[in-house]
Amino acid sequence: MASTPTPPTPPPTPTPAADAEKRASFEREALVHLDSLYRVALRLTGNPAEADDLVQETMLKAYRAWHQFEQGTNAKGWLLTILRHAFINEYRRRTRHPETVDLDAIEPFSVFDELQDDDPQGTFFDRIVDDEVLRAIDELPEQFRETVVLSDVEGLSYEEIARVLEVPVGTVKSRLFRARRMLQAKLYDYAVGMGYIKGSAT
Amino acid sequence: MNCRECTEHLYEYLDRELTPQVEQEIRQHLADCPPCGEHFDFERLFLDFLRARCRAHGAPAELKRRILRELFDE
Repeated sequence: MASTPTPPTPPPTPTPAADAEKRASFEREALVHLDSLYRVALRLTGNPAEADDLVQETMLKAYRAWHQFEQGTNAKGWLLTILRHAFINEYRRRTRHPETVDLDAIEPFSVFDELQDDDPQGTFFDRIVDDEVLRAIDELPEQFRETVVLSDVEGLSYEEIARVLEVPVGTVKSRLFRARRMLQAKLYDYAVGMGYIKGSAT
Repeated sequence: MNCRECTEHLYEYLDRELTPQVEQEIRQHLADCPPCGEHFDFERLFLDFLRARCRAHGAPAELKRRILRELFDE
């Protein structure tokens, strides 16, 4: 069971001035990450209504624990950690189930190797719309999905991702490698199916 | 650095996760080796494509209002 990321310290005594300062710093450092939290929540839950609830709950928890946040450190990572804990503890049970994935069973598929003669410049990507990319991400097993979203959508560093997911940096690297290859394979299959590219004769 | 070593660092290179020294070695190899250069260009294109397709969407305005109301009783 996941716990809050920092050890509890007593909240400061509330005064009107302290409240105003708390609100100002929370708006400045936390609320600016609302779009990121929503995008991650949507990919984790796969459902806009649950993503709304998950983000709202995350913001409430974060506001209550705001005195524990170390000012000047990475608020986005801190918020994403809270969001992920809330998701694991309360949402995952109800929505998607964590999959157990045998890493070695996944054969990395390099689309570049397939395209070398046909479309080495990857121009077929231009024809794939947003929804198709999001659908491909949503089909990834959860551990790959969350890693690829934190990296490729939200731009976190390996170290930041490792902290949010509570796994070693090496695990982040290998998940990212496989997640990207799986995504490429899905999008390639889609592009072949749509006739955007010929596809290799097998 | 040979092609295999270079490709092993593919994503770390594109994600800017390498030390300046290794990064420089890879840059040198990519300049000298067109096939690796083409491969890295393709993968960079793919990552840029992913980012562009997924970042277009943000939180709904109503959610923001709801959270502000909840937090600050507005």
